[in-house]
Amino acid sequence: MNCRECAEHLYEYLDRELTPELERELRAHLDECPPCGEHHDFEALFLKFVRARCRAQGAPPELRRRILRELFEE
Amino acid sequence: MPAPTPPAPVDEKRASFEREALVHLDSLYRVAQRLTGNAADADDLVQETMLKAYRSWDQYTKGTNAKGWLLTILRNSFINEYRRRTRHPESVDIDAIEPFAVFQDVQEEDPQGAFFDRIVDDEVLRAIDGLPETFRETVVLSDVEGLSYQEIARILKVPVGTVKSRLFRARQMLQRKLYDYAVGMGYIKGSKT
Repeated sequence: MNCRECAEHLYEYLDRELTPELERELRAHLDECPPCGEHHDFEALFLKFVRARCRAQGAPPELRRRILRELFEE
Repeated sequence: MPAPTPPAPVDEKRASFEREALVHLDSLYRVAQRLTGNAADADDLVQETMLKAYRSWDQYTKGTNAKGWLLTILRNSFINEYRRRTRHPESVDIDAIEPFAVFQDVQEEDPQGAFFDRIVDDEVLRAIDGLPETFRETVVLSDVEGLSYQEIARILKVPVGTVKSRLFRARQMLQRKLYDYAVGMGYIKGSKT
């Protein structure tokens, strides 16, 4: 696998969506190519960051109560 | 106190709904917020979704993928009833959008992406809200809610390849927005003049 193919499949790799064979090829490339390794780390951090920033908020307690009332107290 | 009675079917229905559906309330709410863009509509959309889901609970095969099932109901309701009066779907020429590689711009100055740490929750949510709808929903289902490409494809009724390409571009656009913001705030110098 070359650097261009690696960049192309990087998200699928991070999302664990590659076939086992491609996954092996990509991992092998990352091991031997430090710039792609850095790129991988950067994208991995970005995805972790987005998830952490967006999951803080849950449904408001009032909405939960409203739904329970609607569903079960009719 | 009423005398103890054997559990009625309605109690079983309620119990399984609580166990399998209501546990996803936070996820539904987060997705609804990003789709509608405001708290009041998000509340209504989630409530309606839960009502519809409870009414058709018999059609759901217990123990399968409740989250995907609920999100499908939520998105269909959004398209049918909310989108018309809230946000309008932008027509996006996906191929006209240049894929950006933020990493190339920060490679020298901040290859570890330390600038991300300085960007607060609200700013990230605002950046997501600024994405075209097709990208926004894909990124939320994947990066916030952790669904697989297959699950997202099923909810959005598009091929898996489309999910893949949307996700690629959505992430690049989101990165670019956050990078521009970080440069504007002086968190990072930036490589562009």
